[in-house]
Amino acid sequence: MPALGLLGAATFAPPARSGGADAIALVVLLTQFAMLRAPLARSQVRLYAWQSTAVSALAIFLASTRHAPDLYALAALSFSLKAVLVPRVVLRLLRDAPADVATSSRLGVATTVLVALALSVFGFFVVGRVPIGGGSLPAPALGMAAAVVLVAFLLAVVRADVVSQAVGFFSLENGVSVAGLVVASGLPLLVEVAFLFDLLAAAVAFGILMRAHHSRAKTLSADVLGRLRG
Amino acid sequence: MSWDLFAVAIVPVAAAVACWLVPPSAGRALTVTSGAASFALTLLLVPASSVTAAGGWLRVDALSTVFLVAVSFLYAATGLFALGYLRPAGHRDARARYSRRFFAGLNLFAWSMSMALVVNELALLWVAIEVTTVVSALLVAIDETDVATEAAWKYLLLASMGLGVALLATVVMYDAGSVVLGGSYDLFYPKLLAAAGRFPAQAVRLSFVLALLGYGTKMGLVPMHTWLPDAHSEAPTPVSALLSGSLLAVSFYAILRFYQIAVRAIGPAFPRGALLAFGVASLGLAALYLAGQRDLKRLLAYSSIEHMGVLAVGMSFGAPVAVVGVLLHVLAHAAAKGTAFFGAGSVLRKFGTKDMTRIRGGLGALPWSGPMLVLAVLGLCALPPSGIFRSEFLIVSGGFGDPADAATAVLVVLVTLASLGLTWHASQTMLEATPGGVVPGETSRLIVAAMLVGLVALTLLGLHPPGQLSDLLTRAARELGSGT
Amino acid sequence: MAVDLAPVEIQALQVLTIAACAPLVSGAIAHLEARLQGRRGPRILQPYYDLSKLFHKETLIPADASWAFVVGPLLAFTCYLVVPLLIPVLTAYPLPFGYLGDILGGGFILGLAGFALAVAAAETGSPYAQLGSSRAMSFGALIEPSILFVTFTVALVTTTDLPYFEAAAARASLGQALRPAHLLAAIAFFLVVLSDTGRIPVETHTGTLEFGMIDEARTLEHSGPLLALARWGSAMKQLILYTILVDVFAAPWGLAGTTALGAVLVAIPVLLAKALGVGAIFAVLDNSFSKLRLFKITEFMAGAFLVAVLAVLALYLGGG
Repeated sequence: MPALGLLGAATFAPPARSGGADAIALVVLLTQFAMLRAPLARSQVRLYAWQSTAVSALAIFLASTRHAPDLYALAALSFSLKAVLVPRVVLRLLRDAPADVATSSRLGVATTVLVALALSVFGFFVVGRVPIGGGSLPAPALGMAAAVVLVAFLLAVVRADVVSQAVGFFSLENGVSVAGLVVASGLPLLVEVAFLFDLLAAAVAFGILMRAHHSRAKTLSADVLGRLRG
Repeated sequence: MSWDLFAVAIVPVAAAVACWLVPPSAGRALTVTSGAASFALTLLLVPASSVTAAGGWLRVDALSTVFLVAVSFLYAATGLFALGYLRPAGHRDARARYSRRFFAGLNLFAWSMSMALVVNELALLWVAIEVTTVVSALLVAIDETDVATEAAWKYLLLASMGLGVALLATVVMYDAGSVVLGGSYDLFYPKLLAAAGRFPAQAVRLSFVLALLGYGTKMGLVPMHTWLPDAHSEAPTPVSALLSGSLLAVSFYAILRFYQIAVRAIGPAFPRGALLAFGVASLGLAALYLAGQRDLKRLLAYSSIEHMGVLAVGMSFGAPVAVVGVLLHVLAHAAAKGTAFFGAGSVLRKFGTKDMTRIRGGLGALPWSGPMLVLAVLGLCALPPSGIFRSEFLIVSGGFGDPADAATAVLVVLVTLASLGLTWHASQTMLEATPGGVVPGETSRLIVAAMLVGLVALTLLGLHPPGQLSDLLTRAARELGSGT
Repeated sequence: MAVDLAPVEIQALQVLTIAACAPLVSGAIAHLEARLQGRRGPRILQPYYDLSKLFHKETLIPADASWAFVVGPLLAFTCYLVVPLLIPVLTAYPLPFGYLGDILGGGFILGLAGFALAVAAAETGSPYAQLGSSRAMSFGALIEPSILFVTFTVALVTTTDLPYFEAAAARASLGQALRPAHLLAAIAFFLVVLSDTGRIPVETHTGTLEFGMIDEARTLEHSGPLLALARWGSAMKQLILYTILVDVFAAPWGLAGTTALGAVLVAIPVLLAKALGVGAIFAVLDNSFSKLRLFKITEFMAGAFLVAVLAVLALYLGGG
């Protein structure tokens, strides 16, 4: 019977409009993995900018297929905030930093990749078990959003520098945005705009603290953040 | 009555803006006035069963009023305390800038916490709590020392990532609701609660777990608590008081909102089990760590983790008596923890250090705030007639009524363990003779006044809670049950 | 007047197309790369002139080499002639020889070709040739898991292993072409092609920097017609991999749907155009990135593996 089920899963093709959403969500997931493996802090931030662009593209795509004109405004706002403003804020801080090579991850390359894979599997699995969207087949995009969230956690944990940790947080928000767009694009525009400005405020706070950390500790590494214990 | 609610939402942010613009001396007075006004306005809301304003976007029912009382009380008391406590360093311009930023931030912090309690919508609740995170992280870092920056960074990072998970929880809950309420709707509480019985079970389960993980990070539940001791100890003391006394409670409130929906959708067993697991873990870890602390404010921070564990465990018992106890505990903890932090601030001003191995003879050195600190700490250890004694008594009696007695026994044992640690440290620092180099005398009368206010509130809650307050607690407990 | 071709003729035409157009694709890519760098670059037909020049030169064989030295390039070339029989080059429907081997079979034959060349290089006793062959074998082994998972994805989607059916599935609807598993498999295969044809960031295709050479080093000791066959074979391998990439994963359109001569003939320039498109992408990549250090190539392989595994996982668990 599992073979039959697999057969059913294999030949079933999602409709074209959800296919587009899944393809864009895939780009978001791949940029997340690339962020995990990017050696330079600058490239991490640029990948985050690309990821935010993909999220805005998803918003535009959903706006056209679900006929929700609010989402166009949301896409424009989210693009200008997340793809332009936030990366610019972070890159400006990085310009003052002495070294822009992010520290290598605490685990080795192979281990990181395997752990990231395991987390993605877990994300897919959890979403697959929960009937979202009224009981129809789970959208792959939602599983990918869950995977993005989990890999963002991994990024923040495994890399020992403040930029990676901040980028981990921002990309986590991107993952949740994808989930929100796919599932809850009917949320009123007011609420979505509030989300975005909230993210901007958080980005400003992150920027301020990163700058403070850098000016005090003269390094972007988070290894020095171990003084408070017990 | 809706003007009242509106005022509660407006007054603190107006004060924050004003503090930014007017000279710092006026800003200080403004903060205290705003705090007192908010508290008075909140007390006016207590008798009402539910108040709506702004077209349904702002709404308080009994549950939110309970937490609002806790938040606004501590807002008022902390304003008074900060007036006496704050001594920024440096020359005049730096001092003025620091005061301005501090008081504006304090008002903004209190405003965001109040907003989280009065908005009627699940998504705006998230936005408000995210604002509290941002504002409080900047306040933690305001002293600009190495350790303060480190603590603020850890706090902001962990709390924000936790809130990201909480946002996912909101999205999943929205999706669960869309089965019943259609593809596009607002997440108003009354609508959600009315329809919750028909939500799909698996989705609500996932949403509740995610909410517990996400908002639990901000509440300080183990194992997501690692930011808490650092942030609460390195922040300026008024901010620590608000963080421990109010913000943790607001995060608990968010969890309770999800709990309300979950109980109606999937029944009480699963949510209570989850709360019990996290609660016992928090209690256990805090009880163990309390004994080995060296830093006074860190000690109080671990005590906060312990009390949050008590709240979670109490909620998991389910009996109405226990729920009333939990809500009373929120109020009593705000009063007790606030007073304790005020006392810690007084000690810090006197002795110049937070290191408990270097503080001896506090009772002699601080003739007023010393004994009051001891009373507050004993109150935290649930000694009568403190409000905490009454609330933990209610929780335990609710637990023993339950067939599962084991959890209650564990609760009692761990709370006793925690109080042992607290009392030991308190006696070490407070009793014994004052060392020669310390001049006895209070550093500020306002600090004493603030502590007195807190102690009076704590004792009142323990001896005889006002009738209307008890009514409020009972109504809120009913709202949390499977009824309305 | 529609002339219908017999299936055997179409198959022969497939092999001929690959063999004849392979040097053209190589030359076009080299020319494009030079243009992107601001140089005038070699003529597009230069590889043909190179091959004819090499066929006229004499063959030198190292003293200690055995028959494997001569057989290697010959065997490789033969394999490269066989593989076009198995994959959809010109037609959308499976041809009789197409059932000879599936994707795995095609992979084995390509592997055999690589093995023959590696043995031939090892025969020579020259340090650089042996270095190249050992490196090629190791990195080839590292990219194998990705190829396997791509094969698994194809097999899971179509429940057969034949590349024709995967192409048909992708052609069926836009939704099917955009499903995550298909896209991920395409990306993984793109990375596999990148590593198998020796492009940046794995190896520099131009120039002979000994410390970085992998595939180029294997044929260092060959000369004359043997070298011509080896070069031609590697160009054919490149075109074969491009063909699999476009005709099975990325752009399976424009293939002949019937046996009409006109349709089949039209399919040839369409294939060339698609292959040149892929080549252009590779040329741009060549000029945009730098070569990875040898030990970092394993990280690249890990990335390709990640994408390939994700393709299977997306299918199993992601519902797509």
